[in-house]
Amino acid sequence: MTGAGTEAGAPPLLEVEDLSVSFNTRRGVVRAVDGLSYTLDRGEALGIVGESGSGKTVGSLSILRLFGLFDDVTVTGAVRFEGRDLLRLSETEMSRVRGGQIGMIFQDPLTSLNPVMPVGEQVAESLRFHTGASRDAARRRTVELLDRVGIPDAANRYHELPHSFSGGMRQRVMVAIAVACEPKLLIADEPTTALDVTVQAQILLLLDELRREMGMALIVITHDFGVVAATADRVLVMYAAQPMEHCPTDHLFQRANHPYTEGLLRLVPRFEHRAHKRLRPIEGQPPALTEPIAGCPFEPRCTHAVDRCAAERPPPVRLGPSHHSACWLAEERARRETAPDKPWEQP
Amino acid sequence: MPTPQTPAAGRPDGPAAGGLVLLILRRLRDGIITLALVVAVIFVLTNLVGDPALVYAPVDATDEEVERLARAFGLDDPFLQRFAEYFVDVFTGDFGDSHWQKRPALNAVFDALPNTIMLTLAGIAGAAVFGIIGGIMAGARPGSVFDRVNNLTSVAALSVPNFWLGLLLIVVFSLRLGLFPTSGKLGWSSIVLPAATVAIVHGGRIFQLVRSATVEEMSKPYVLVARSKGFPRRTVLWRHVLRNTGLTTATIAGWEYVRLWGGAVFAIEWVFAWPGIGTLMINAAHRQDFFVLQAAVIIAGAFVVTSNLLVDLMYRAIDNRVKAS
Ligand SMILES: Nc1ncnc2c1ncn2[C@@H]1O[C@H](COP(=O)(O)OP(=O)(O)OP(=O)(O)O)[C@@H](O)[C@H]1O
Ligand SMILES: [Mg+2]
Repeated sequence: MTGAGTEAGAPPLLEVEDLSVSFNTRRGVVRAVDGLSYTLDRGEALGIVGESGSGKTVGSLSILRLFGLFDDVTVTGAVRFEGRDLLRLSETEMSRVRGGQIGMIFQDPLTSLNPVMPVGEQVAESLRFHTGASRDAARRRTVELLDRVGIPDAANRYHELPHSFSGGMRQRVMVAIAVACEPKLLIADEPTTALDVTVQAQILLLLDELRREMGMALIVITHDFGVVAATADRVLVMYAAQPMEHCPTDHLFQRANHPYTEGLLRLVPRFEHRAHKRLRPIEGQPPALTEPIAGCPFEPRCTHAVDRCAAERPPPVRLGPSHHSACWLAEERARRETAPDKPWEQP
Repeated sequence: MPTPQTPAAGRPDGPAAGGLVLLILRRLRDGIITLALVVAVIFVLTNLVGDPALVYAPVDATDEEVERLARAFGLDDPFLQRFAEYFVDVFTGDFGDSHWQKRPALNAVFDALPNTIMLTLAGIAGAAVFGIIGGIMAGARPGSVFDRVNNLTSVAALSVPNFWLGLLLIVVFSLRLGLFPTSGKLGWSSIVLPAATVAIVHGGRIFQLVRSATVEEMSKPYVLVARSKGFPRRTVLWRHVLRNTGLTTATIAGWEYVRLWGGAVFAIEWVFAWPGIGTLMINAAHRQDFFVLQAAVIIAGAFVVTSNLLVDLMYRAIDNRVKAS
């Protein structure tokens, strides 16, 4: 799959090609990511959605090659960042990329910060490591950054330990850490899931502003279509370790093609819903990732499935310049003007 | 620097000097109470279980001699009176005379004391190197060859009695290889084997605890964040993980030291005939020299109480430094 058009010659910022990640565990081999491909241009924002366990986190952490220290992992495919395959870099080269050119924000702000290190120092240490800034310069820049992400009285709170900050404030600190070295790509893994609603909106706004200010590309991982709508230019839908659909965000809400995407959208509560239009959950469970899957992984739960779906894995079908759907029925489904079962399309 | 006013930081014994003095006083009081209990237990054991005169008298004494002894010691006085006198004697440093060494029991103990101090310090230093440094390195790379070798060593060391390990070292390093003396205290090389025994056994326990604390800490989310900043594993370990495990680690090592004084070192001394308090106790017991035995037990108790206090203070000091940094 390719993303939006790139300037002739220049490679896109990020090019993930046929990425597969499996963990060797005591319970067997777990395929956490299976054949993931996408591209991302400079300054562009991609949302990755999918239910729990679909491989969103592993897929994104493997860009930075950040696996558990004690995991036995096999990674295949390519992750080209500015043309260089990150999977082939040495650990030393990789450590310049992590935090320097690619920043990362994690889901749980309560456990993401070192509990016994002053918050300011946790930002400054990254600056010093990547830019070689002096202690004083790093400290000044850190105060600016903390101020920018919305920590009140940043100069004084520099020395405080994380436990005196609220969840939202800690996530702001985490944002400051991730953008400290003005990375070209920011990966945010469910940056707002652990926060309450008002704080969620503020953090999303902050991410969007920073992205524009610094010209960063953004990958935002979420369960929440609201987050996608607020931050992403394009969306990648994952299911059971595989990419299902990849399209511009506005297509998602009007022209979703894949039956799985459709099912997910049906779970989104809408104001227009009347009492008789209940949310309809997708029947069934995602498949175990330890078993090989011959066909489409969604086939057992799909109401549109045909014989072929169980036997052969559907390739991504190109439906437009940057719209792909991995479904045997993709073209047929795209020809329908409006689907009869799309409650959210009602006026 | 503003101190965060949260429950965690606002403990009653804060970093303030007054709080520290109070803490020391309180712990000293607790220690004295503990020692008093030890003294009381010893008194009750020697006076209520069996005839104290028989206990204090040499094995071959005649009935008449035993009776004379009882009168001489005031053993026919009322129980409570004797108890009170005994207490006063002990806390004024009068532990009675050794009938074996023909001198005050306390002098015999004080002669042995420096040797035990030397052995516990050398032993705990070795134990700290094996347990702490080894535990951290193994915990940072579980499953590595280094981890497996050390893990196996420590499990093996923990599953045999310490005196047996001492005998094993004697057989291998003294009898077979002739590198060190088998026993006694003849120059500096004598301390190597008993100290190594302490280091392996107690280092083994420190190793296990430090290793699992390190493994657990390395799996925490903030470690992933530190790695996402680009830090190599070594930096993550030193800058982030050890700051969090340091306190536990120091306390674990301190407790092992207390444990030595609580009795663990005495059997090792005996195996190597190291002239410390443990060997003295066992010899005194053989010779029915109860005054020396009592003095040795009480002085060892005093060391347990003091080293416990020191571990506690060290914990506070590190904790406050971490909180204040
Ligand atoms: N270290 C690991 N060892 C073994 N299996 C793993 C490991 N990490 C992830 N997995 C498995 O890989 C699959 C994908 O996990 P991942 O965390 O990427 O899902 P996710 O889409 O981010 O889910 P969530 O929304 O819950 O965060 C899951 O089935 C998970 O159990
Ligand atoms: Mg996840």
